[in-house]
Amino acid sequence: MVGWEVPIGAAIAFAAGAFGTGWAQSRIGSAGAGAIAERPETAGSIIILEAIPETLVILGFVVAAMIILMVK
Amino acid sequence: MDWGYINARMRGMKSRLLDRRALDNLVMQPDLESLIADLEKTPYKSDIIEAKIQYSGVLCIEYALRKNFTRTFRKILQFVKEEEAEKYINIFLHRWDVQNIKTILRGKNIHITNEEILECLVPAGELDEATVIELVRQPDIRAVIDMLATWQIAYAKPLTAEYPEYAKSGDLALLESALDEYYYENALEQVKRQSYNNGLIRNIISLEIDVVNLRTILRMIRDHIVPEEAEKFLISGGKEFDQDQLVHLLTLHSTEEVVEELKSTPYRFLAALPPAVLRTQKISVIEKQLEKFLVQQGVSAFLGDPLSVASVIGYFWAKYNEITNIRIISRCKTADFPIEQLKEELVYV
Repeated sequence: MVGWEVPIGAAIAFAAGAFGTGWAQSRIGSAGAGAIAERPETAGSIIILEAIPETLVILGFVVAAMIILMVK
Repeated sequence: MDWGYINARMRGMKSRLLDRRALDNLVMQPDLESLIADLEKTPYKSDIIEAKIQYSGVLCIEYALRKNFTRTFRKILQFVKEEEAEKYINIFLHRWDVQNIKTILRGKNIHITNEEILECLVPAGELDEATVIELVRQPDIRAVIDMLATWQIAYAKPLTAEYPEYAKSGDLALLESALDEYYYENALEQVKRQSYNNGLIRNIISLEIDVVNLRTILRMIRDHIVPEEAEKFLISGGKEFDQDQLVHLLTLHSTEEVVEELKSTPYRFLAALPPAVLRTQKISVIEKQLEKFLVQQGVSAFLGDPLSVASVIGYFWAKYNEITNIRIISRCKTADFPIEQLKEELVYV
């Protein structure tokens, strides 16, 4: 029987990743908007850069899933 | 304050500035017509097309450059509106107000036509085109100052204070110096609080004050003005020199002595100038070197923190330098200047 620590731990792992992603994407997004405004041809690279921080939230999700599935 | 956005736009705009190869291409053009045609292949295209409707030759280029400069900085002001950056950009743009007022005063002083004065104005600052046109319409210097006071434009204050002195001596340098002093004092006052951005602006403004003071000192020594008289044209707030050091420089007797004295300062590069230039008191060559130093320092701001006003400072100087370079090229093409000499006149950053 798992206690309350497991879902809380999983929630923290997921939330931290999500906050990190949100923060990084907001900074990249605003700088990217500036770059696209001046040089529209950079749009492709900016979209890729914007997607990179998604890895953080995915990592957070994986860790959260591992906590739930593996901590017995 | 979204510095990331501003920095990205500034760097995007910087990438469109003419690089060394593009400038060399302009230099290699055989005459003014081919220079204008070549400028049409650059980001100046729309301004050149607009200018060609009204002007030809060097006037066409001058008009296009003024238009482009004004448009560029109006655009920057639009995307930083109501942000902290607006304050910093305005500090730089106000210098064009000072420059425009000085140009109008000079024009009125030597009684040239309103059209000729208007051709020399760059309404990139707070005083827009309509305002400067109205100022130019005034019959004399007194009326220009009165008009500034009526509109409650801050520059009326130093001008009104100095006008009685000017009326007595007829020396326009008094009014110009008062304007400069007011601008620099005001600019430093706005950035006196301790912060990284304020420090960057303070640094470049005080560097500029040093350069302006050195220029004044060199001119005063060349013209044999007594130190007591010359002292009032010095501006306080410089980075390298305090008032005592400046006064000491004023007491020297020749350009060579000043350059010798500057060897222990960041201006030691002046000592590398050919001795013949220093002996003949050829101030223009030294002024060119000082200007180059200032531009290089300004553009090097790009190396500062990207999430600060650094990129704005860097862009301002890079754009200013580009416009100056194109003006030099166009003037030299009009005068049929040899290409090698023309290249020496340009400042590459």
